[in-house]
Amino acid sequence: MKESIYQTVCPGCGIGCGLYIREDNQGAVSIDFFKSNPVNLGKLCRFGMKLPHYFSSGAFCKADEPSSMEGAIRDAAARLKGAEKVAMLSVGNTTCEEHMAFERIAKTLGSAVHTGIQAYSKLPPECHSYLEGMPFQDIEKANKIVLFIDPYVQYPLLVRRLLAAKRNNSHIISVGTKELHLADENLSITPNEYSQLGLDSNSVIITDLHPHTDANDIIQLLNLSLETGAKILTMKPFVSSEGVNRISKVKTTSKGLSQMMDEVKKGNIRTLVLLDSDPIELMPDTDETVKSLKKLDNLIVISSRKSPVNEIADVVISTEPLYRKAGTFMNTEGRIQENSGTGVTGINAMSSLNKELGSEEFEYGQLHEQVMAALTNEGQKSGYSKIKNLATAKQCTGGYVLKYLYNPFMWFNQLDDNDFVLINLNMVRSLKLKKGGQISLTSENGNIKMRYRVEGMPDGLILTARKLPIAIAGTTSVKVEGC
Amino acid sequence: MVEVGDRLLGYATDPNVRSKGASGGLVTAVLAAALEKGLVEGVVILKRIDEYEAVPVITDDVQEVLSSGGSMHAVPVNLAKYVVGKKVAMPGKPCDVRGVIEQAKRNSVDLSNTYIVGLNCGGSMHPVLTKEMLIKMYEIDPEDVVGEEIEKGKLIFKTKSGEEKSISIDKLEEEGYGRRESCRYCDVKIPVSADLACGNWGVIGELAGNATFCEVMNEKGKLLLDTAIEAGYVEVRPADEKSISIREKVNSAMLKLGDEWKEKVFDEIPDKDRLKYYIDQFADCIDCGACKEVCPVCSCGPDSKCTMFHSLADNYKMSMYHMVRLLHLSDSCIGCGQCADVCPVDIPVTTIFRRFANPAQKNRNYMPGMDLKRPPFLEVMLK
Repeated sequence: MKESIYQTVCPGCGIGCGLYIREDNQGAVSIDFFKSNPVNLGKLCRFGMKLPHYFSSGAFCKADEPSSMEGAIRDAAARLKGAEKVAMLSVGNTTCEEHMAFERIAKTLGSAVHTGIQAYSKLPPECHSYLEGMPFQDIEKANKIVLFIDPYVQYPLLVRRLLAAKRNNSHIISVGTKELHLADENLSITPNEYSQLGLDSNSVIITDLHPHTDANDIIQLLNLSLETGAKILTMKPFVSSEGVNRISKVKTTSKGLSQMMDEVKKGNIRTLVLLDSDPIELMPDTDETVKSLKKLDNLIVISSRKSPVNEIADVVISTEPLYRKAGTFMNTEGRIQENSGTGVTGINAMSSLNKELGSEEFEYGQLHEQVMAALTNEGQKSGYSKIKNLATAKQCTGGYVLKYLYNPFMWFNQLDDNDFVLINLNMVRSLKLKKGGQISLTSENGNIKMRYRVEGMPDGLILTARKLPIAIAGTTSVKVEGC
Repeated sequence: MVEVGDRLLGYATDPNVRSKGASGGLVTAVLAAALEKGLVEGVVILKRIDEYEAVPVITDDVQEVLSSGGSMHAVPVNLAKYVVGKKVAMPGKPCDVRGVIEQAKRNSVDLSNTYIVGLNCGGSMHPVLTKEMLIKMYEIDPEDVVGEEIEKGKLIFKTKSGEEKSISIDKLEEEGYGRRESCRYCDVKIPVSADLACGNWGVIGELAGNATFCEVMNEKGKLLLDTAIEAGYVEVRPADEKSISIREKVNSAMLKLGDEWKEKVFDEIPDKDRLKYYIDQFADCIDCGACKEVCPVCSCGPDSKCTMFHSLADNYKMSMYHMVRLLHLSDSCIGCGQCADVCPVDIPVTTIFRRFANPAQKNRNYMPGMDLKRPPFLEVMLK
């Protein structure tokens, strides 16, 4: 009847919700509520409630077999020695200590760890510190809040902060594609019209920064902040996004995920090493991504969970599940959080790999010290000047557009009933869709029939919170029919 | 040997357990004896993380039980679901006990295998609000707190330096602190449906603060207490009339206060506004399902009516999930507050469910979780 309890952080996004994972002596996992946690008071969203599914999907069991682990490390080292055109990716989906260990291997290889967010490299470095988080409590004190995200779908634990702000008489404006219940105003405006928002230094702009964020969107908001004095809260998609971006040594030259996949496709990257980062989950076009990854000479995965990329990797170094790891996270508001777990399988595996590659071993304690030094280093914010817009790729316009509401929780192929698209009432009427019926969507990637839900949205737009196989990018032109 | 119906004053014989446990450590010692003597295979304890945080765990280690004593008003968990399918003993507030009995009605808990030592409860508090209250109202650093107690309508905190500060619960609640809303209007303060009903109400004179008033509610309670006495874990003596009367007086005062809160919280909503009220309340729901997961009386499992009739693709103005649950829980909701505690968008779920359940349960003179004699009015009782 012995149970083990781990105090940990939900890996669903960068909010950093605290929770307990209960593991019984049969290995069954369940969640428990960490009610004194200041980030979330123990409250969890749909993803958090389904964490037992996330943690029970298993490939990490291999780590319990030393011979398999040693073999994987030797195999990885053999492939990396003399490998050319090596790239490394860690989006921040594990502890900061493991990320730091990954950085050590990168140094040994003469390579660099990319976090997959290209927007950083497109922005002047003096802007980077303005994209660091701010305390969530400050949201509740703002006079005006402008949302460039859908908190209900993308960052659900923000909703309670926004509702608290409303109770404090804050005025909430949603600038986006879907009407939000909590917003006092729902606007569909272009950047040239942002002056209508009437922001000042007591306002907060909430947006997010993820692997597919268009740097221009961030530039426009940084300029808006500069003009009005409004603060920016940049939500991040992974449990350690904030931490790894503060640790990252190559922010100014950081490659975006799409850019990396493009280089893989063109043969400019021949060996790819991934730390708890799966491009197959993260890229909109699954088939195209698999095809590109199969062109690599070496695909080496260090992972604590089962994910699609493990299936096609040349080597998988499997580590313990996240909740059992010793380590530190930093959430979007810049709060340092620590796991109660003591597992160092991942750290030790990377240490052994580093040794096999001819460099020195390292221990958890050293990495933790380095992490804490990096995370607690309060750099001075220097001012920035108005930033010029970058040239943009051609956007999908006209006809019907399928837009992927970039939802962190859907990346992990969770059991979920988001198997529908959002459309407006005009589209239902023009296509004569029936209650309980389906809409047929066709792109150059094929056809899919989906259930639909009616929302207040612009004409011609179809939103999905689930990555659909017909998508070729974040927005995809589609033909629609009733069925 | 004790008898069913006995009202006793008792304490742990081990001085360490007596001083560490709340009110003389009787509850801790009874649970440890039940484990030691093989009445149960495990005991549900709260594994203390700090003054404001503890996690329920089931242990088969007697020493772990003995070191788990101490009251934790700022840890508002309901333990009912932890005993499902197990042969265990547990301490429990009245809402914990009521949850276990509702599970037993649906054959999810075998009461013949489950021993419950009930604890009087005037209410529990939310940990984060409690910390904020300590700073603002008590001017105490939450990290300095080493103990807390509710006595004579006051909430008392003890600090590392030995200082004690008390403020009346009424004053705290006027300021938005103090007990959780569901605790304020709760209508069971003494856990009469447990096997033993224990607490410090009625413990006076030289025993005040280091003994427990214990009422033996049934044969299982008698077995629990006899086992602990025979094992030398506890000593008891009959409570005198004064103790009994004080305990009753405290209970009556708490219930009266609860009725006053009920009046305040459940103000009348005109018929024409009622539908809008329910739609508005649930409008920000993010479909996490936590309210069902945590509900101590829900025994439906993952594929239940509320989830199967509901889809995120629906265009209903109020989700079928909530509509089904409002109806389904109208005969079994015990108002424990767990659903409101875990709601990620702070919907006052318990209050909404009580609004629906109060008239239904009142009309049928039915209080869920009190005994196995009456079946739920919407379901067949499997037990």
